[in-house]
Amino acid sequence: MERRLQQLFFALSILALVLIVAAAWQANTPSWKTYQHNFLQLEAQGEPNAVAKAAVLATPPEIHQVMLTGLQRVDRCTTCHLGVEDPTMKDAPEPFRYHANLGSHIPSKFGCTICHGGQGLATDKEAAHGKVAFWPNPLLSNDYIRASCGRCHKEGDVPGVPELTEGRRLFESQGCRGCHKLNGVGGSIGPDLTAEGANHRAPEWLEQHFLTPNAVSAGSAMPNFHFTREQARALTYYMLSLTSEEMGSYYSSVRVIPGPEYGRKLFEEKNCITCHNVGGVGAKTGPDLMGVTTRHSLEWLDEQLVNPELVYPGSSMPAYDLEPNARKALVAYLNSATPADIQLLLAHKNHPLTPEDVGIEAGKADFARFGCAGCHGTELQGGVPNPNAQGGEVPSLLHLSDDYTKDEVIAVIRNGRAPPLDNTAGPTPPLYMPSWKKVLSDEDINRLADFLWSKQEKKKESW
Amino acid sequence: MNLLQEIWQSIVRRDSLSTDKGKSELVFLNVWLHIHPAKVKKENMKFRHSFYLGFITFFLFLILITTGIALMCYYRPYPPQAYQDMKDLQFVVFMGPFLRNMHRWAAHGMVVCVFLHMCRVFYTGSYKKPRQFNWVIGVFLLLLTLGLSFTGYLLPWDQLAYWAITVGTNIGSYAPLIGGQVRELLLGGHSVGEAALLRFYVLHVAVLPSLVILLTIVHFWRVRKDGGLSRPVWKLKPERETLVTIGAPAEAAPLTVKASTTKTYGLMEVVTGKPIFETVSAEEEEDTVFSFPYAFVREAVTLMATVTTIMVMSLFLNAPLEELANPAKTPNPAKAPWYFLGLQELVSHSALLGGVVAPALMVLALIAIPYIDRNPSRRPRDRKWVLWLFTIFVVANLVLIVIGTFFRGPGWALVPPWVHVVGGAE
Amino acid sequence: MNRRTFFKLSWGTVGLAALVSAIGVSLAAVVRFLMPSVFYEPPQAFKIGTPGDFAFGAPQFLVEEKIYVFHDRDKGFSVASAVCTHLGCTVAHFQSDEKFHCPCHGSVFAADGSVQHGPAPRALDWFEVTLARDGQLRVDKNKVVPPTYRLMV
Repeated sequence: MERRLQQLFFALSILALVLIVAAAWQANTPSWKTYQHNFLQLEAQGEPNAVAKAAVLATPPEIHQVMLTGLQRVDRCTTCHLGVEDPTMKDAPEPFRYHANLGSHIPSKFGCTICHGGQGLATDKEAAHGKVAFWPNPLLSNDYIRASCGRCHKEGDVPGVPELTEGRRLFESQGCRGCHKLNGVGGSIGPDLTAEGANHRAPEWLEQHFLTPNAVSAGSAMPNFHFTREQARALTYYMLSLTSEEMGSYYSSVRVIPGPEYGRKLFEEKNCITCHNVGGVGAKTGPDLMGVTTRHSLEWLDEQLVNPELVYPGSSMPAYDLEPNARKALVAYLNSATPADIQLLLAHKNHPLTPEDVGIEAGKADFARFGCAGCHGTELQGGVPNPNAQGGEVPSLLHLSDDYTKDEVIAVIRNGRAPPLDNTAGPTPPLYMPSWKKVLSDEDINRLADFLWSKQEKKKESW
Repeated sequence: MNLLQEIWQSIVRRDSLSTDKGKSELVFLNVWLHIHPAKVKKENMKFRHSFYLGFITFFLFLILITTGIALMCYYRPYPPQAYQDMKDLQFVVFMGPFLRNMHRWAAHGMVVCVFLHMCRVFYTGSYKKPRQFNWVIGVFLLLLTLGLSFTGYLLPWDQLAYWAITVGTNIGSYAPLIGGQVRELLLGGHSVGEAALLRFYVLHVAVLPSLVILLTIVHFWRVRKDGGLSRPVWKLKPERETLVTIGAPAEAAPLTVKASTTKTYGLMEVVTGKPIFETVSAEEEEDTVFSFPYAFVREAVTLMATVTTIMVMSLFLNAPLEELANPAKTPNPAKAPWYFLGLQELVSHSALLGGVVAPALMVLALIAIPYIDRNPSRRPRDRKWVLWLFTIFVVANLVLIVIGTFFRGPGWALVPPWVHVVGGAE
Repeated sequence: MNRRTFFKLSWGTVGLAALVSAIGVSLAAVVRFLMPSVFYEPPQAFKIGTPGDFAFGAPQFLVEEKIYVFHDRDKGFSVASAVCTHLGCTVAHFQSDEKFHCPCHGSVFAADGSVQHGPAPRALDWFEVTLARDGQLRVDKNKVVPPTYRLMV
């Protein structure tokens, strides 16, 4: 018995040795070392003499990583993708091929996963490409990769990615905000989309969802907008780009500084001239912006653009949903704006605005901005299906004045309303009129009503 | 050569191991080994008596300390770095996965072995006089082991960790009056966050291990003082020792101790008032052997078997690491660690009864066992009732854990494990 | 030696050897485990800004990088390490005597970095500074250059 036990002890010792050596061997032969070895072979081929070849081959294996401290990201992709910054590797086999057409987006500065997705921390192929359990963000396929541009380039056109511009335009014009919140503005019938891209839904799912919402998400309240394939693709791109990570500013703190040209574009787009003037050119509702940058500090101006009420109690200026760089650009433009330049801007507008027009224009802008069109239609025609509501669809707003007074309409906008039921025993209709009193001021709502009244179609019948 | 011998002798300070004196001195004169008696009773060391579960638990604890200290070098206890550090262990640290696996499987093994050890002690009646209080210490060690596992669970900061701890600490918050405060104290806030991670870390690497070490020392000391491992039930003899009166210090009354016919008693026995060996009869004396090598070789084999088993598991089974903790997204179902799933099952029926009353009663009952069960006999045939009761208690616990682990699906609905539920979370 | 003792001996020897090597390999593995495979540190080569950012005359001290950047009107740029070669304290450059003084043990380095006084074993390092393609100055701490090295922009 004692002998057997001693033998068992020694046998277990041998087993322990085998196991620890196996574990060490496993740890010492990760797949990335093979890739680095193969890459060195490839590099050595290009060397002219034996000494240089030997020097290349003697490079010790090591893990390469790009640290993006501001984004709390670490990308180790370049441990295997060794030639991404080496133009001589443009015909090399993957994973060593040179990444062409990057412009200023150098991998060693920008990382990889920010555009491509995947698991930057991983060092084996499957895990790094994110096609493993518990990694929700796999590599984006080539069909959708360009959507990532929109994560940083949040405003204006992105060269080479018309889909993003189109997606943003569709989002604002089709009234998506009526149901969906984006950066704090919008309804709450549908999910908040501020960080939709960070939900890591499959792009294919999103695209199908835009084409036929019910096909991928049974019982969805989202109406079928009958988007074309291209439109669905564009919206998918836009959704993928919404991550709520402050990436644009992270990278711009490194490189891009917003300039006055972009600010001028914003000044025009946001119709600042509808209320403001510069040196007397423009409207007189708001203050003259000539020299505003010398009258106030940059922080004051920035805050004013975020939340006018807070800086200037009683201000009737709406809060604009601008990202920090856009605000910087706008202030930069205000610094250099001249009356002559404003004349030029106004020359593009067809007709001068009366104060009434200004109100209606503002109402129209709010109608688009808060996504009323999502249900009531871009031309106020209504018609979005709403099962079991009276008429089975969202009502048109073109004949309001037949049945309601302006005050009644204002009350409905303020307080919201559940649609009257078609069949009182049936299910609750998915869509309803939300209450806007917490989002819009009375003045805003009045302007909205003004806008609606300007669009009423006159009754044909007469005495 | 003489100098070498002198150096060696100055280190070991004992006679050659081929002599009985040397064998005794090896144990007596060595601070690490003297927790052993110089001689052990062969029968008490029988594997089929104790299954060495206490040893195994202790060795698992040693593995946990060693691997735990190594892992501490790569771990920062604040989110989200904690999760990134787990990924680094997985992907870039040399043998990082292996060490983490060893820590994980040793931890689970320790929970299992502590539990089995407790069952063994119960079934052999080894908690009976004079070992009642050592049983109580054992219960506290069981609770500390669960506490260590529980606090360690949070540290990876993944979804599994985050929600297991959220559920676990919420179970505790149902305690009347103090529940809310205990949870706040534990979490350093109202929800599982940065403060909770830091506190769990401190508990896991400093407070709880220290307590375990302290209580283990007491636990071992008392085992040793009570005559080592308990006598196997099949070796119990009818009590027929005689009482003898032996000389005592001047003022004290003469002590009466149990004595056998062959053993003489030294001062130590007189001081403590009881012999080191419970009852030593002539035939049992023949049964004793020197600890070296009899006990040591068994312990060494147990140690190697424990280490190699954990190594094999660590080579082939990877410790799980889910997505980064996301307080906004609860996985469905959100489950506590497996050893708490019995509790979670009870809580799903009644928070107060299942989450507080039942576990509190369970712990109290465990502590009270040696004081309630006053039957001096350790023979199974004399304690049928008690054995049945304890078996029911153990089986009920296991059944609840099995239900919680395998039979609970999304929404804590009863779903057999062979039915696949699609899309629970959304 | 009969077969029995040989068998016993070989079992014992092989077993003990395995035990000792298992412990040895484990210890080595732990040491290797503790050797970092990746470094979360600022890179050794970095850009410090455009030449216009640096005035002539007194050197500019870059705190994080621990370097002194000298910009001489006639000779151009040079970059000195601010780390004392004795025990690693950060040296201060005094404008009054144009020398580097170490606060820890009183080492004094001349304007060219050579040791003038105190326990420092060798002169301060000078690092290579080059002009990167984007017009920024690039310092590489991996490349130590002689104190006479200058970059003329």
